[in-house]
Amino acid sequence: MSVLLDVQGLQTRFRVRKGYVYAVNGVSFSLEEGETLGVVGESGCGKSVTMLSLVRLLPPAASIENGQVLLRGEDLLQLDLRQLRDVRGGQIGMIFQDPMTSLNPFINIGTQMSEPLIYHRGMSKREALARSAELLEMVGIPDGEARLREYPHQFSGGMRQRVMIAMSMSCEPAVLVADEPTTALDVTIQAQIVELVKELRDRSGVAVIWITHDLSVVAGIADRVIVMYAGYIVEEAPVDALFEDPRHPYTVGLMGALPSLGGETGNRLTTIGGSPPDLQDLPDYCPFHSRCPYAIDRCRTENPILEPVTDASDRGHRAACWVDIREVEVQSNGAGASS
Amino acid sequence: MTTQELTAGSEVDIVEASRTNLWKDAVARLVANKLAVIGIIPIVLLFFIALFGPYLTPYDFLAQDFTARLAAPSSEHWLGTDELGRDVLSRILYGARTAVSVGLVSTAISLIVGLIMGSLAGYLGGRVDFMVVWLTDVTRSMPALLLAIVINLTLKTPLEAWMEEMYLATKNGFFRQTMWVDLVLVFGALALIQWPGYARLIRGQILSIRSRNYVLAARALGMPTGRILTRYVIPNAMGPLIVAVSAGLGGAMVLESAFSFLGVGVQLPIPSWGKMISDGLRMYRTHPHLLAGPAVMMAAITVSFAWLGDGLNDALNPRQWGG
Ligand SMILES: Nc1ncnc2c1ncn2[C@@H]1O[C@H](COP(=O)(O)OP(=O)(O)OP(=O)(O)O)[C@@H](O)[C@H]1O
Ligand code: SF4
Ligand SMILES: [Mg+2]
Repeated sequence: MSVLLDVQGLQTRFRVRKGYVYAVNGVSFSLEEGETLGVVGESGCGKSVTMLSLVRLLPPAASIENGQVLLRGEDLLQLDLRQLRDVRGGQIGMIFQDPMTSLNPFINIGTQMSEPLIYHRGMSKREALARSAELLEMVGIPDGEARLREYPHQFSGGMRQRVMIAMSMSCEPAVLVADEPTTALDVTIQAQIVELVKELRDRSGVAVIWITHDLSVVAGIADRVIVMYAGYIVEEAPVDALFEDPRHPYTVGLMGALPSLGGETGNRLTTIGGSPPDLQDLPDYCPFHSRCPYAIDRCRTENPILEPVTDASDRGHRAACWVDIREVEVQSNGAGASS
Repeated sequence: MTTQELTAGSEVDIVEASRTNLWKDAVARLVANKLAVIGIIPIVLLFFIALFGPYLTPYDFLAQDFTARLAAPSSEHWLGTDELGRDVLSRILYGARTAVSVGLVSTAISLIVGLIMGSLAGYLGGRVDFMVVWLTDVTRSMPALLLAIVINLTLKTPLEAWMEEMYLATKNGFFRQTMWVDLVLVFGALALIQWPGYARLIRGQILSIRSRNYVLAARALGMPTGRILTRYVIPNAMGPLIVAVSAGLGGAMVLESAFSFLGVGVQLPIPSWGKMISDGLRMYRTHPHLLAGPAVMMAAITVSFAWLGDGLNDALNPRQWGG
């Protein structure tokens, strides 16, 4: 397997009235050809900003302060806007959370779908429409040709997400970034969308970055997972290793198995107590400190770096924590004690 | 899992398949709105009169008939005559011309200024945005009529003097007609009062549409900025703009009448409903017909534009299409 996308030391911040919001703080990860990478973390931890930074689709207040985004060796952060547009849609496709508002209400589906094909692939209008009809059928919308003339409001949420997927895959990108594509949908439709992306992935060999805050979705689709917290990657592991042997207290917390802070018994935690740090005023020590039941003195003085964990079953298992949580006997193991 | 199993057959499509065109859809909604349709009739009539009024009028609007001064409505003068014996109906029909041309021209000017200023503010942001917003706030904080009076009082004399000079220098008859000074001042004052509304609307539309998901999605597909502007931003801003222009047209006509009423509007000899109302008001006890005609016209037009604006608002609001 060869590396397709290699992100190094990515830092993105937002200029706000008083100072900066440090949304992404030195994120490094890589993606191999055909691989599916899950990205998990609480709301606001920087998942979307990280992925939008890859192709610089950021709001005006944002700036990328540092880092490299190497797509097959070429640094996307050095490209000019014209080159970047060819990468967007052409090399890196994206789908977003809210399919209800992701399509232009004033343009019919056919026109909307054919524009990227005309633009990136140089197709004629007729060719692009024919291809669009095929794409619709490919994402499970029957009678594609007839539906090309319809407008977004004539499609349900799940159907619109299918259209978005068809559009983002239409120019055969190497990477598909799916930013919580199922969050806004009904449960049954969520499963259908996950299955659809899996099928398309297996058929086309596209590498997928799947953002979610739902670990169970990640278990079903990802090969590898990165866990983000406060703009940092705090753990990275192959999906099995992550579920069987999580090493960062935050990951443990996401799995709903974190012992309670302060040791009250009988208080089973399925969510992590406390709230993430203020991204405008990040501590220079471990950002999870205030919520961590394993914290030791060192955690308050030094920010842990992401490094391979000890006794790892896989060399790619890394975590950013000063403590080997397997060795710590936390006083009251609240998890599962009572309900 | 096969593709067949993946088809979204279970998903209910909430839509009637017949609705395929959004603009057609909007027209259908508008037509279904009774008040809007009722409102359209006087407006169409108004524009018709404005265009063809001079051919319809029974008398010249200036023709004075001293034998029939202040005559009550009769078969000869359907709406009676004024103190100079001029036919009121003819003057009302001519007044439609004033109202419509003032409305159209001042709306066009303020719309163009508003489009430029609003787009600059929305697109460039930062200092430009701050300046435009500040300018619109200042303009809007001044009472419209007061502003018009001040403009009229301070600019009228110098402008007329300039016209006179130009005439002496060029001997061009155009500069003899001081009526132009009036028109320029009225249009200018109306545009000054109205551009901030359009500028703020355009600015808001650009800011809001730019941050919409479909624009992000289009950018994520690599669509160029120009294409996003023409395909995404402008069509989506059209609805609110059409509504605003409809309301603005009515508003401008009412304002023009208010100017005339206060004596800073278009001066005679061009008839203006506001002027007719203010004249009529002086003797409405003895000769109510002088007031009734123009007042009823004014009221009808005002209400019609309000109804049409509401109807357009409902018909063109994409949120109600579930889009
Ligand atoms: N325009 C902005 N201005 C200031 N801060 C912003 C802006 N957009 C995002 N942020 C900040 O960046 C941080 C990361 O946001 P991001 O959208 O990446 O979170 P996320 O992990 O995708 O969360 P979610 O699960 O809710 O989508 C957030 O804490 C947010 O406060
Ligand atoms: S470094 Fe310390 S505070 Fe941070 S997660 Fe690890 S144990 Fe908790
Ligand atoms: Mg997000």
